[in-house]
Amino acid sequence: MADKMDLLDVEVWDGNMAASQAMRQAQIDVVAAYPITPSTPVVENYAGFLANGYIDGEFVMVESEHAAMSGCIGAAAAGGRVATATSSQGFDLMVETLYQASGMRLPIILNVVNRALAAPLNVNGDHSDMYLGRDSGWIQFNAYNAQDAYDLNLIAFRVAEDHKVRLPAMIHQDGFMTSHTAEGVLTLSDDDAYNFIGDYKPMNAMLDFEKPATYGVQTEEDWHFEHKARQHNDLMTKVNPVIQEVFDAFEKETGRKFDFVTNHNLDDADVAIVAMGTTVDTAMLVADQLREEGKKVGVLGLRVIRPFPFEKLAAALSNVKAVCCMDRSAPGGTVGMLYNEICGAMYNSANHPVITGYVYGLGGRDMTVEYLKGIFADGEANAAAGKPTTPLQQFIGVRGPKLNFL
Amino acid sequence: MANKGWDEFDAGAILFSFNDKVDNIATTLAEDRPYSPSNSFTASVGDWRIEKPIFNKDYCIDCQFCWIYCPDVSIIARDKKMIGIDFDHCKGCGICVEVCPTNPKSLLMFDEHKDDDECLAGWPEKDEKEK
Amino acid sequence: MFEIRWHSRAGQGAVTGAKGLAEVVSTTGKHVQAFAFYGSAKRGAAMTAYNRVSDKRIINHEKFMSPEYILIIDPALIHTADFTAHEKENTKYIITSHLNKEDVIKSQPKLEGKEVYVVDCMSIAMDTIGRAIPNTPMLGALMKISGMYEIDFFKESMINVLRKFPQKIIDANIDAIQRAYDQVN
Repeated sequence: MADKMDLLDVEVWDGNMAASQAMRQAQIDVVAAYPITPSTPVVENYAGFLANGYIDGEFVMVESEHAAMSGCIGAAAAGGRVATATSSQGFDLMVETLYQASGMRLPIILNVVNRALAAPLNVNGDHSDMYLGRDSGWIQFNAYNAQDAYDLNLIAFRVAEDHKVRLPAMIHQDGFMTSHTAEGVLTLSDDDAYNFIGDYKPMNAMLDFEKPATYGVQTEEDWHFEHKARQHNDLMTKVNPVIQEVFDAFEKETGRKFDFVTNHNLDDADVAIVAMGTTVDTAMLVADQLREEGKKVGVLGLRVIRPFPFEKLAAALSNVKAVCCMDRSAPGGTVGMLYNEICGAMYNSANHPVITGYVYGLGGRDMTVEYLKGIFADGEANAAAGKPTTPLQQFIGVRGPKLNFL
Repeated sequence: MANKGWDEFDAGAILFSFNDKVDNIATTLAEDRPYSPSNSFTASVGDWRIEKPIFNKDYCIDCQFCWIYCPDVSIIARDKKMIGIDFDHCKGCGICVEVCPTNPKSLLMFDEHKDDDECLAGWPEKDEKEK
Repeated sequence: MFEIRWHSRAGQGAVTGAKGLAEVVSTTGKHVQAFAFYGSAKRGAAMTAYNRVSDKRIINHEKFMSPEYILIIDPALIHTADFTAHEKENTKYIITSHLNKEDVIKSQPKLEGKEVYVVDCMSIAMDTIGRAIPNTPMLGALMKISGMYEIDFFKESMINVLRKFPQKIIDANIDAIQRAYDQVN
């Protein structure tokens, strides 16, 4: 029986420690992991907890991230609670197995500490790896700070393992900006956290000798489409009600309210910044400062990236006149993902705000209060003009001649 | 099963070998197991054969080589004695004949439509080694 | 809200110092951040660490700051690092050096006219802890100059922060904190 840890009501944790502690409280059966900066401390802390008797499960050291996720898949199919963590190139190497995990409907929890993708090599945070995983059929939760990283881990286990869902889930946090920034995190006791998640309830366990199951079947043209359709149907219809249930239960337990989109003063706003990660928090700070100057601005944070919350997003933006979409990933010859998705969500809604996109923060480049003020100013000009006053895609914070497209 | 719609499958393309819960499956003979339609035991591939293996028990020493090597679990053995071939699942690959160590062989391949008794009647003699 | 920037070398404990301070601040009900610029820094490379302290929840995640306090825990960094970057008019500097204040300012004219405090955290660390880890003495000096907390309360809190270390190391750190508190000027 694992020892319990006495936690303060507020612990000073960085995002990595917050994720490790939530994983410890979940009492995972198997963690198979391969370390990579900046996510290394997630599994390093976890291995320490295990070595010190705070966890009963297994920690499997493997030779690559591909093997780490493969180990997780095997353990999850066998019928246990499973989680791991990775970043950047490690996430790249995991991609092949991410699709296996979601296709087999295995509720694995993956902490993705977001980091730039080489070349050139860079250990700092941007959203390139997060974007790479967005078609992989996983649920993707987005943390803005260490508190979120802790809370969303507890939430993710309960959502993913629900028998109506049975899909793997990622919790994204910004490399270094969240993962290595220590801040006060409100904690749950070990018992409360575990009880919130609940005991693992096996489903179709491969190691159920009374009803053995075959995982990883081959389907060709005659069956494959039906299986992918089933998976998509469940992502589109089954997941969000469960997420809502768990968000509600979490609010009841802790008083901390989550929603699919974070709506910060959007109801009477003319201008909205749409962002993910730490930028959501900083943009809210800037929006509050501008409100004091009488400017009608707000922020939309994308809390659940997949399944993408089309209706909730369109509703939150139903009164704004201009939207500035902030993508922290090089789009590789097109517009940013957020720009694209938000245009898609708004095109058939009643409101048609002016929508412009920004590419920023690549390789950990700082997104400052001053830059955000400039972006809100662009949005105000667009709202007043009723049309774009800038090119549709701008690069923010890059040295050299101003870089604009479209 | 091939005509099932997307909403009729188990999530995750999971397949189950048996229709019901099973107990002591290792000691239950294949023909007595409650195999499900998705298990290959319920599918016949006998019509894939061009040639068939015929078993001649007069020469068999029950070495079990054929049982071990058969890629489709189509050698039927009971109490470590070879008793015949499962023609629903044998695809006629000939591996059992290849590995049979007796002289003459206890398994030989014949035309699929040739009569079994005729095959046995024409079984070759022991092949004498040249001195 | 007030902000602190640490100038240090990787391995001298600036991140641990910033996190230790954060733990103490958090127990008093205030909100706090501690972070650093990493990169693939090797031991000995110049680096910076940061603290934010506020009565309200801190949601600013920009790395940019104009700090109230700039703590320099390696004596050579006033000659090689851009340690005055984004300073305010009233930014206070606490500098580790074996020189006295006048000689420190003479050696680095950028410091002229600024509010400068000097303390030899390196010698204090060597004398007490026995290793060149000048982070905890710098916190003692910060308590004196900032008046954030009473020194006795701060030492008590640091004993708790350091609780996982052997008693000898805890005692040495507490001694270092007190010495730097007494000596900074």
